[in-house]
Amino acid sequence: MNIWKISFRNFQYKPLFTVLSVLVLSISIALLLGIQQMDTTFQKQLENNVGDVDMVVGAKGSPLQLVLSSVMHIDNPTGNINYDEAQKIAKNPLIKLAVPISYGDNYMGYRIVGTNNDFSSLYGAELEDGRVVEKPFEVVLGATVATQLNLNIGDSFLSSHGLAENSIDEHSEPLTVVGLYKPTGQVIDRLIISNLETIWLAHHHEEEGLEEEHTEEDGHEEGHAPEEDHKGEHSDHEAEITSLLVSFRGPVGLLSMPRNINTTTNLQAAIPKFEMDRLYQFTGIGVTTVTWIAYIILIISCITIFASIYRMIRERAFDLALLRTYGSNTFQLVKMVAYEGFLIVGIAFFFGILFSQTGLYFIFKMIAQQYKQHIPFEIPFQSVLQTGALVFFMVMLSIGLAIFPILKMNISKILSHEK
Amino acid sequence: MIKTSNLAFKYDRSDVVFNFPDISLGPNENLLILGKSGIGKTTLLHLLAGLLSPISGSIEIDGVTIHTLSEQKMDKFRGHNIGLVFQKNHAIRSLTVMENLKTRLFFAKKPISKTAITDLLEQLELTDCKYHGLAELSVGQLQRLGIAMAMIHQPQIILADEPTSSLDDDTCTTVMKLLMEQANANNANLIVITHDQRIKSLFNNTLTL
Repeated sequence: MNIWKISFRNFQYKPLFTVLSVLVLSISIALLLGIQQMDTTFQKQLENNVGDVDMVVGAKGSPLQLVLSSVMHIDNPTGNINYDEAQKIAKNPLIKLAVPISYGDNYMGYRIVGTNNDFSSLYGAELEDGRVVEKPFEVVLGATVATQLNLNIGDSFLSSHGLAENSIDEHSEPLTVVGLYKPTGQVIDRLIISNLETIWLAHHHEEEGLEEEHTEEDGHEEGHAPEEDHKGEHSDHEAEITSLLVSFRGPVGLLSMPRNINTTTNLQAAIPKFEMDRLYQFTGIGVTTVTWIAYIILIISCITIFASIYRMIRERAFDLALLRTYGSNTFQLVKMVAYEGFLIVGIAFFFGILFSQTGLYFIFKMIAQQYKQHIPFEIPFQSVLQTGALVFFMVMLSIGLAIFPILKMNISKILSHEK
Repeated sequence: MIKTSNLAFKYDRSDVVFNFPDISLGPNENLLILGKSGIGKTTLLHLLAGLLSPISGSIEIDGVTIHTLSEQKMDKFRGHNIGLVFQKNHAIRSLTVMENLKTRLFFAKKPISKTAITDLLEQLELTDCKYHGLAELSVGQLQRLGIAMAMIHQPQIILADEPTSSLDDDTCTTVMKLLMEQANANNANLIVITHDQRIKSLFNNTLTL
């Protein structure tokens, strides 16, 4: 027999009560950990998706929309811009890399982006297999697209018009897979990369055959905003793109160029990092609120633990007095009660981590399905440690306060009240 | 061996001063202390067990003046040399019979010998409930466990506070006989305080407060 064993037996003695204490504490630990982890993962993911894109140039509209559509690929584009005009901007010596992109089609919900071969270098994506796009109607697949759709080099498919999955409005020209990218954990994983001509040609054919249908269906216009421009464009034989992704040589470009473009041209320049920070401030309020709720739950569970330990000491006053008559000293009794606290905290922490990790796993899986992107899943050890230290401190404080009566215990009084 | 002289005690928030007659017990001597409720029987027992400190006088057990010991030393001394039997609460509720006896030895800092425990349980007819929790024991079994708890570490003195008042006549006699036998076998002094007249005849040595 030793103190640990006695603590363990006390811990087992009232199972329902113990289970409830552990449960309340582990739920609050799970919430705290889960929120912190989700917060850091999303922030990291957003920053990650920006890649090397310092500036994006597109049609006038909301800068946030431009970034969400052209960099994050989760929103509809603001409109189209003239390719020649974009190329003029691209010649600026401050620019290291300017990649034109054009999109408006999808296959099974995955966006098809017409661009050039510099696009992959913005995200540091390398070819896993095959080669880059050389001719129109050839595509290279991002890693997620390839695995999710089970497509391989040599396979071909028909793309659909618009950005949402549909099988009614298919293009007639099949696209052939010529290469696959390695996974990057960035937005390119869920894109189908082709060249600009593929998009232009697809829509050129389209217009000849399906013009009437287009004007009737409004829904498309949202998914494929540049519709009207397209018509004008093609009649003028002027090529258009959706936006231009720019990577600067140094910070000077970032300081001068966006303002220059916004004031002197009818184009719009947006800075992804800035827009993402702004977006993050909006969502951050939600995260802060939930974090506070988690802290409140933590405080409540600490009060619960305090109350239960305090009650346990009161209820067991006679047992504790008996232990004193057996020769145990106050310090041993304190140790005994503290060990019970350790047990509760330890087990609650284990389950807290388990709950938060399984919960997040399913949340991320859901998000991955919805946004067609795999989010790297990592445990932030620092926040686990911080939360752990906080929970441990709170619980130990509760125990300390509850133990105080033992230290002041008058054994004789407790023993003579047995009758 | 136990010796008190001019023992007096007063509770903090009370003006009543208890004065106790001197007690002197040689080896193997037993004592029955009788008295009405409120006369200070339990107070005297707690003084002897070092759970209370007297305002004057002295208590000597086996040559050790216990009321001058520090709290830590008193805890240790009590665990080692004194066995207490109570009226109702006999052992720790969350532990089994076996675990309780092991715990008693652990805090007394005596070697935990399973054979010694088994032997004692046998003598007290508790062998069958070795691994039972306290909730599964009858009142008589609980009282016998109380004796085992006061006995297992072979103390110098056994102090029993109303050990028989909640027992029927038969069990009362059995329990008292066991208590006296065990005390004798251990060469311990047995001091029983009670208002239970049934056990008066079992003692040669009585003190009425």
